[in-house]
Amino acid sequence: MKKENKLKLNIQAILTDLLFWIYIFGCASFLMNHWFEKVIPNNFVVIFGIVVGLITFILGISVGRKVFLPTIKTDRKWHKTFWGWSVFFILLITFVVGWNLVEVDLYKLFAKFRNAGGIMGGIFNPNTDIFVLCLSALAETIYLALLATVFAIPLAFILSFFAARNLMPRTFLGNTVYIIVRTIATVFRSIEAIVWAIIFSVWVGIGPFAGMLALMIHSIASLTKLYSEQIENIDPGPVEAIKATGASTLQTWIFAVVPQIISPYLAFTIYRWDINVRMATIVGFVGGGGIGLLLLQQQQLLRWQNVGMIIWLIAIVVWIMDMVSAKVREKLQEM
Amino acid sequence: MKNIIELKNLHKVYATGTHALKGIDLEIKEGEFCILLGLSGSGKSTLLRCLNRLIEPTSGDIIIDGIDVVAAKGKQLRYIRRKIAMIFQQFNLIRNLSSLTNVLTGKLGYSSLVHSLTFPQHKKDTKIALENLKRVGLKEFAEKRTRNLSGGQQQRVAIARALMQNPKVILADEPVASLDPATADSVMRYLGELNKKDNMTVICSLHFLSLARKYGTRVIALKDGKIVFDGTPKEIDEKRFKEIYGQDAEEVEIR
Ligand SMILES: Nc1ncnc2c1ncn2[C@@H]1O[C@H](COP(=O)(O)OP(=O)(O)O)[C@@H](O)[C@H]1O
Ligand SMILES: [Mg+2]
Repeated sequence: MKKENKLKLNIQAILTDLLFWIYIFGCASFLMNHWFEKVIPNNFVVIFGIVVGLITFILGISVGRKVFLPTIKTDRKWHKTFWGWSVFFILLITFVVGWNLVEVDLYKLFAKFRNAGGIMGGIFNPNTDIFVLCLSALAETIYLALLATVFAIPLAFILSFFAARNLMPRTFLGNTVYIIVRTIATVFRSIEAIVWAIIFSVWVGIGPFAGMLALMIHSIASLTKLYSEQIENIDPGPVEAIKATGASTLQTWIFAVVPQIISPYLAFTIYRWDINVRMATIVGFVGGGGIGLLLLQQQQLLRWQNVGMIIWLIAIVVWIMDMVSAKVREKLQEM
Repeated sequence: MKNIIELKNLHKVYATGTHALKGIDLEIKEGEFCILLGLSGSGKSTLLRCLNRLIEPTSGDIIIDGIDVVAAKGKQLRYIRRKIAMIFQQFNLIRNLSSLTNVLTGKLGYSSLVHSLTFPQHKKDTKIALENLKRVGLKEFAEKRTRNLSGGQQQRVAIARALMQNPKVILADEPVASLDPATADSVMRYLGELNKKDNMTVICSLHFLSLARKYGTRVIALKDGKIVFDGTPKEIDEKRFKEIYGQDAEEVEIR
């Protein structure tokens, strides 16, 4: 047991060191190319990384050892140790590479402010004539967010029971169901709503329906996760007590689990609707319809006064939603 | 009197490797009021939870009222469980629901899903639930959410829930450990009454010898998962007490 553990820690330490140095040489190679147009072959980078990583590991001065096998006395200040300087160096080189990759250009930021004049002007002088047109697009956005949330609630509610570790028995069937539901929810959640919107705008065509489907899928996945975590945090006592009365599994869920989760569920759901309204505008940009689509169109036509009007309306709606949802959640807490 | 509970060579080994019950042999007669004594970790809760299979025993036999509990599955296990009520140290009521609804959950083992979802429509169930609440002196608290009740009141709701099961056996896992002495005695009095008047067999773990003497007809002491004493409450003198609880233990009185 102990030996096995030691081996595992050693492997983790070596791997850390190798990756550490391969990364540093990779960054160095990028900078060489970027600044001096000198190409360093990739296998050189890897070989150098491995050699230096191994040497520092063997000498016992490496970061991997420091993290996984802390035999080195720790009372020395970091700037008197090799690992301290290596960490400092990796942070520095990461920052330098980042600066170059992102093409940070302070000159552009300050000197070219005039370019934003059109849109700024639009914001301070919005075109109120399109107010009615905007309202109907806005309604589309709000209602698509609402429908996405409403459709997601029952599905996520049911799925969350199967994604809760404490409710799924540790039998083969129980574990399988748990793992499948969890994995799907995690994967679907990690795909952003905007990506779903692209998929659905191809599938069902550009418009609010595509946006609704995108938000619904994303909401189901994230509500399932939030809900199931809530279930995992319930007091197990009542569950035990209800089971002991001879209740069936379903009765136990309804009588011992549901009453404990109802009010946090409501809070999460309202929060979700709030998020969905914001996301609905973004999703509109890529084919989800509503105010987002209108904004995109007006921006491409360079109608800055119309854009200004739309931005104001979005800001107001988001602000109202924010307040309402905070108020409702506050009330729920008191219940 | 016939045996209502028979345990043969009962073992429980947890997944962590803890050997919590090491071969328990025990026969309990109908109508007994058995007190379980023993230090924390001696296996009292494990033993009680094996009896209604809230915990799966590792090996051994459990016969309750002539039925093989270990072999029971699905529906059969529900039928067994509804005849064995359980009372917990932390009461384990559903805190957001009313006392009445909590008492009604005692009927779940007898009810179909549809029936249990429409409890308020079934006047007969409600009537019995109210009677049970009245019996524990809480009739006027029927509509109150249980989280607003005191500890003693919550435990009495739990007793009413147990009564709703119309049980033959009541398992009580340190039912008074979270209560003050006076309340503890009143809760024990209800258990004593169910034992005497309704002839329910009670197995109750406790830490107070005074309560054991007052209510118990028999005392069983556990130590490290084994029975180290089995006799009447009177037989426990200071020497026996120290054998069970260790040399440094002092008896605490509670009246
Ligand atoms: N769920 C569990 N998993 C692992 N070990 C447990 C579990 N529950 C209890 N134990 C262990 O089993 C032993 C008996 O515990 P328990 O039955 O709770 O004793 P008591 O109720 O007398 O205090 C203890 O050593 C305890 O740590
Ligand atoms: Mg215990």
